[in-house]
Amino acid sequence: MAFTLYSLLQAALLCVNAIAVLHEERFLKNIGWGTDQGIGGFGEEPGIKSQLMNLIRSVRTVMRVPLIIVNSVAIVLLLLFG
Amino acid sequence: MHPAGLAAAAAGTPRLRKWRTWPAEEIWRAGTWRGRCAAVSEVTTGQGSRDRGPGVSRCAQRRDARSRSWYVVQAGLELTMLPTLALNSWQSSCLSLISAGITASKRRIPVSQPGMADPHQLFDDTSSAQSRGYRAQQAASGLGYPATSTLPQAAFLADPVSNMAMAYGSSLAAQGKELVDKNIDRFIPVTKLKYYFAVDTVYVGKKLGLLVFPYLHQDWEVQYQQDTPVAPRFDVNAPDLYIPAMAFITYILVAGLALGTQDRFSPDLLGLQASSALAWLALEVVAILLSLYLVTVNTDLTTIDLVAFLGYKYVGMIGGVLMGLLFGKMGYYLVLGWCCVSIFVFMIRTLRLKILAQAAAEGVPVRGARNQLRMYLTMAVAAAQPLLMYWLTFHLVR
Repeated sequence: MAFTLYSLLQAALLCVNAIAVLHEERFLKNIGWGTDQGIGGFGEEPGIKSQLMNLIRSVRTVMRVPLIIVNSVAIVLLLLFG
Repeated sequence: MHPAGLAAAAAGTPRLRKWRTWPAEEIWRAGTWRGRCAAVSEVTTGQGSRDRGPGVSRCAQRRDARSRSWYVVQAGLELTMLPTLALNSWQSSCLSLISAGITASKRRIPVSQPGMADPHQLFDDTSSAQSRGYRAQQAASGLGYPATSTLPQAAFLADPVSNMAMAYGSSLAAQGKELVDKNIDRFIPVTKLKYYFAVDTVYVGKKLGLLVFPYLHQDWEVQYQQDTPVAPRFDVNAPDLYIPAMAFITYILVAGLALGTQDRFSPDLLGLQASSALAWLALEVVAILLSLYLVTVNTDLTTIDLVAFLGYKYVGMIGGVLMGLLFGKMGYYLVLGWCCVSIFVFMIRTLRLKILAQAAAEGVPVRGARNQLRMYLTMAVAAAQPLLMYWLTFHLVR
């Protein structure tokens, strides 16, 4: 069974990188997933799509700097230890 | 923020999600008690128990008194575990003084359930027997201070210098302990974790029986005691971390045993099994948290609760693998099949109360896309358990 905690960490890093790469203006707006397009009514609870858009936006905002650090560390470790 | 959430946070309960489902009795209680506090907390504008106006006193006092008494009990538990005898007697006698002082001044919390010890005290206080012995000795000499003529360390403590040194040393130790406790709570939520380990043998027996045969159990609702869920030892429906932790470790050991009987064992495989099972658990927790966020479920299911529920499947896995070792593949499939169905039913019945809206949980079919989504989510979580149980054990039984 090769599914270890380390591979989980690697997969998580790759997923977060993938989310961070989605550009707001060039890409998300073109497919209708920009966050300024999705605000529904205030009283009704948000649907899945607007929750996803909010999640993508928050991940991009919060993880920008930590991702730089973690990616650098991962690159150095992979270069050294393969 | 929600005033009720504030009240719960001040009283030191597990952190609630942003929105909370309220059991029916809770709503009634909220209407009477928190209705009075609601107006008050508007005034205090989200500062909770910090501000003290004349109208705030009762609600804030009750919250404070509850958290204070909890800290006293906790401090008492920590302090009575100090190693040396002399220190122990000094601390326990001082602690009895302090707690007597505090309990005399605070408002008494009414215990609403008969036959239940103080619900905020998770563990039995076993220090009383020891301190009672010392207190009997010191009765003649007055309050608190160790009577130098009756203690076995009489000669050592009679010297005033060493007496003072002992007192200084113990106060240093107490300060150090306080500092560590204060800081460790920032990284590991120790007080919250203690709730999940407050179990006893009867609870463990009943819970294991429930995991294997959940079909006859009627009432799946966790009892609440003044806004906090009751400790597991008082209610068989409450989640605990003891069974999942023990079952996980036993699973690792049984996996090692199974591999050993097939001549496939090597010590690093144990670590690999443990890592793999933990990784699957972490993946499950993250997936369920993500889907709970996306479906905007108002639930008080905390992360640790979720870990506890997801850890219950290890019990079935252990049973399956052991039967597979004893009776071969047929025994493995039979027992695993039975445990899979039981875990499926158990998870559905437990999660239904936590995830689905109150009306739906009582059996009345509620229409609407939201409830349908929640139903699918519950079914998906429950269906993932048998799959994972099979996936994590089939390679152990040949």
